[in-house]
Amino acid sequence: MAEPLLRCEKLEVGYGGRPVLPPISLEIRPGEFWAVIGRNGSGKSTWFKTILGMLPIVGGQLHRSHGLQMGYVPQRSAFDEIYPLTGCEVVAQALDRGWSFIRPRSLHRHDEVHHAVELVGAEAFADRPFRSLSEGQKQRILLARLVVAKAQVAFLDEPTAAMDPVAEEEALAQVDRIRQEQGTAVLVVSHNLNVARHHAHRAIYLDKEQVAVGTPDEIFSLPVFQTRYAEALD
Amino acid sequence: MEPTAPTWAEFVSAFPIFREAILCGIAAGAVLGMLGVQVVLRRTIFVSAVLSQVAGLGVAAAIFAGMIFDVELEPMIGAVSLCLAATGILALRPERVRLSREAMLAAVWVFAGGAALIIGSRITAEAHDIEAILFGSAVLVRPIDLSLVVAVGCFCVIAQFFLGRGWLFSGFDHDVARVHGLPAKMLDVTLWLCVAGMVSVATRALGALPVFAMTALPGMAALMLVPGMRGVVPVAMLLGALAGGLGYVAAYFESWPVGASQTVVAAIFVALSVPVRLLRAA
Repeated sequence: MAEPLLRCEKLEVGYGGRPVLPPISLEIRPGEFWAVIGRNGSGKSTWFKTILGMLPIVGGQLHRSHGLQMGYVPQRSAFDEIYPLTGCEVVAQALDRGWSFIRPRSLHRHDEVHHAVELVGAEAFADRPFRSLSEGQKQRILLARLVVAKAQVAFLDEPTAAMDPVAEEEALAQVDRIRQEQGTAVLVVSHNLNVARHHAHRAIYLDKEQVAVGTPDEIFSLPVFQTRYAEALD
Repeated sequence: MEPTAPTWAEFVSAFPIFREAILCGIAAGAVLGMLGVQVVLRRTIFVSAVLSQVAGLGVAAAIFAGMIFDVELEPMIGAVSLCLAATGILALRPERVRLSREAMLAAVWVFAGGAALIIGSRITAEAHDIEAILFGSAVLVRPIDLSLVVAVGCFCVIAQFFLGRGWLFSGFDHDVARVHGLPAKMLDVTLWLCVAGMVSVATRALGALPVFAMTALPGMAALMLVPGMRGVVPVAMLLGALAGGLGYVAAYFESWPVGASQTVVAAIFVALSVPVRLLRAA
């Protein structure tokens, strides 16, 4: 079994030193597809942001493998559409890490952008303004950005929100393809339980009172899950 | 007998008198236009309005303090000090005190405006200078003001050259920039230090109104005129420089207040850009 890329040991996440979730223990390995399940306000984004280093750890421990490259696709509301960037320019942002932005970009790095755009099938619209793209097209651009970032672990926060079912399935197929081809571990927050049912190997259920980690079937069979999601399961 | 309008020949022969003022308008306009692109994209236009108001207060406060303590205090020191202090206040997270960013901006803006008027009323001998600073009628600019505008402007241009891509990434997608290890907070701080520094030296030289106008309007016009992101900054610099220079020339020929003239020229660029943008969208 591959070495874990990320390990949470009784990790507590929250704000102002106060945990919003019970302690979480889990290991994330290369190529795994994780579904992150929980109701609105259950702390999913807080957990993501803590692992990504945007929020301080409240308690427990978080181990990242040495030199771990992480990628993040925030919720769609995180982007300000006033910026007149093209799809390719958004993808190219992934070339910058640390202080690399102070140096001019070498031309061969633009090939990486075009390769990633081709990989996700976004050639037809990558040169158009990002703000003018459909939700499905934007998601492909953001997936291309993940590819360019060479993320070993990718965190996708509700990546298919506002998509119709066909576009959602296409986007998830793209995510799965990137996972398989690049060995990227993928964690997806989604309110659609079919994401966990049809794509995920592992799932984490987050609730103010209980956190559970297991296979999707194990999570679906939890009494607390069945109570909270009774209607969705019907 | 009706006074005759000045001629180009008169303008050229009198040029050495107002050379500093025109060069200062051009330099400040170019740099403020460049910074204005980031300001407009980050939806923080009123930060520059607040800073220019605060710089005006700083100049008035320095003159007033000089009168009270009977010392010669350089107004620029007041402008820069208060601008930096205001930048520090505006950098605080307003949600900690359950306020929005707009509410904090409004609080600082009205305080600076009110305090500048009170101080202005106490220094009646300098009232014309205070008015010039707040509304911009700087007909003549001292060589030291021009030197400061050029020096701070050069620093801002160098910062744009090295940090511009980081500013753009951090502004467009702050969270992902942080995940990628970009020093997002440092980038924000340097951007606002550049804006505060440039606004304070330019306000002393040109006045608060044209400085706000040249920070906001050339960037807006460039974002409408240029289809993508590439080319926006040079076009904003060009429009800012034109607003600073042409505004002065228009003021000379039409006997308008200089600051108001520069503001109107910058506003005309925005007005002309709107149909271009609409035609392109169509």
